[in-house]
Amino acid sequence: MADLRVQNLVKRFGAFTAVGGVDIAVGDGEFVFLLGPSGCGKTTTLRMIAGLEMPTEGRIEIGGRNVTFLRPRHRNVGMVFQDYGLYRHMTVFGNIAYPLQVRGFSKAVLMDKVNAVARMMQIADVLDRKPDQLAAGQLQRVAIARMLVREADLFLMDEPMSHLDAQLRGLMRAELRHLQKKIGVTTIFVTHDQLEAMTMADRIIVMRDGRIVQVAPPLEIFERPADEFVATFVGEPQMNIMDAVITRSHHGVIADVGPFAVPLDRSWALANDLARREGRKVRLGIRPEHIDLRTTPDADHTIAAELYSFEPTGAENLYVLRAGDVEFTTRNSTTGTACIGKQDRASLAVRFDPKWIYLFDPEDGRTIAQAAATAADVRSAA
Amino acid sequence: MAHPDTSIVSPDAPPVQRNWWVYLVLAAVCVINFLPYLWMVMTGFMDNATATGQSPQWVFTPSVEAFRFLIFEKGIMENFLNSLVVSLASTFFSVTFGMFCAYAIARYDFGGRDDVSFWVLTNRMMPPVAVLIPIFVTFQTMKLLDTLVGLIILYTAMQLPFVVWMLTGYFRDIPRRYEESAMVDGDTWFQAFRKVTLPLMAPSISATAIFVMILSWNEFAFATFLTSTEAKTLPPAIMAYSIGANISWNVLGAAVVLVTAPLILFVLVLQRQLISGLSQGVIRK
Repeated sequence: MADLRVQNLVKRFGAFTAVGGVDIAVGDGEFVFLLGPSGCGKTTTLRMIAGLEMPTEGRIEIGGRNVTFLRPRHRNVGMVFQDYGLYRHMTVFGNIAYPLQVRGFSKAVLMDKVNAVARMMQIADVLDRKPDQLAAGQLQRVAIARMLVREADLFLMDEPMSHLDAQLRGLMRAELRHLQKKIGVTTIFVTHDQLEAMTMADRIIVMRDGRIVQVAPPLEIFERPADEFVATFVGEPQMNIMDAVITRSHHGVIADVGPFAVPLDRSWALANDLARREGRKVRLGIRPEHIDLRTTPDADHTIAAELYSFEPTGAENLYVLRAGDVEFTTRNSTTGTACIGKQDRASLAVRFDPKWIYLFDPEDGRTIAQAAATAADVRSAA
Repeated sequence: MAHPDTSIVSPDAPPVQRNWWVYLVLAAVCVINFLPYLWMVMTGFMDNATATGQSPQWVFTPSVEAFRFLIFEKGIMENFLNSLVVSLASTFFSVTFGMFCAYAIARYDFGGRDDVSFWVLTNRMMPPVAVLIPIFVTFQTMKLLDTLVGLIILYTAMQLPFVVWMLTGYFRDIPRRYEESAMVDGDTWFQAFRKVTLPLMAPSISATAIFVMILSWNEFAFATFLTSTEAKTLPPAIMAYSIGANISWNVLGAAVVLVTAPLILFVLVLQRQLISGLSQGVIRK
């Protein structure tokens, strides 16, 4: 068990910069996720921490020990690979025992340790099988067991769940989270699946184009994204984003989207000094769950929209709506939208919750104003 | 609700095809392939008169006259031993060196990698006769003429491109993950290679080795020119013993039996391994 400190880590492959100056500090026992789209440098970062790639610049410390240019075997880390990396010519027992054999443990200790970890991962009954006789879920367990069997300082997981079906993934999420807390070993988990990161992480590091965009606990990533990229990457269906212009009317400050205008919260506009941006372009963001639907317009539901596509998911109904050339998605409970039209081109009235509107800079995507509803929580937390 | 005109009827499954003509073709191929060899073996067991007779005889009294001549008068077993030593040694060296070379080409991205693998492949395309005389002169200068060491070096060099070319493909099929996983688990690179990659490569390596072995065993041109008495291998020996002023067909037949018998046995024993090795990477999970 140890903490991890990464300073200004850079990796270049020829002219291509895969990782461009990454700083990470992970506390002892923390479960941290590297989240980002494919090609964002998250796997390269992990491989540098494991010692499978040597960094071009920077420094890596595990438990206060400088391991930047050490070979993998001197780092004492355990790793689960995307395709598990199980040896197909060895039995499950041989696979799990391998790291111990390499370290020269005695036969008795080895048996004890392997059996204990196999019981914990519920694979005790398949120990004498070969990997190609196992189902995907069991392979996953074997790979994790092989990582757990030795007392590593740091666990590294490279998209270990990408080969599992949705149901198994759900089960593994809960189990892995439980296991990590029980064993308490610092763990770095790489994924492109925002749901995995949101549900399991203590903290999420969002990466893009080889750089860190935001480091925060899951809820803060979700509610107070650092920029438009994080806002749209996290959350399913993704946040609605539309171009708008800040203008002033007799209602106060509004965001003019074109086909319709979105009234903004008065005190929020004041707090974020939006009047200064009058006449300027912004990007307006609102999550699907913060758009309310009605059949007929009223004082609040002023935006008229036409149903483009209706997607029931069971517990929730997704309405993809169009107002002029602006398209947005709403997400509401099935019961709440039971008597709202579901035919194509049905006309509906919409309200954007002014407490949950985000504004982003159209140039660099930085968040200009976080949603009003999130401000209070963060203040009380601080 | 049912509209009979719109209902879909799935077509009948096509009848099982009985391709009797495939067996006919196969039988023809087998006969065409096997008959000359059969005739050669039969000739080997004929006496000189029968073998050189005007009309071919299918029924005759077998004799071991030709074998006795080859083994006791000419001492062909010595050539047999030379062939064995040369082909085993050159197979061992070419596969060992070629393995590391192929591994490097398959795993590491270095400047000129594609040039190296292309150069390796083109080496294979060169007709051996083109370098026969330069190699003779080189061997003469280095006092390697008519030595087993000389032949071993030459065959190793000749087989290397083939080994590298075959094994590169097989190494590429083995995910790097295995080695990386072993290295994180605490192995050095070489331990990971030996304990994880090599066992997985075993069928492919033995298939390649069998091929190389057969090629070395049968090599004729260089062996004829570079050896005379001390290191003569089987192929030139056969030529020397059976073809003089006129061809002694029964001696030739007996020699062919001696040359091919070990190979046939060898391949029969290792057939399963050979096929599984060749299909590696093709039928993979």
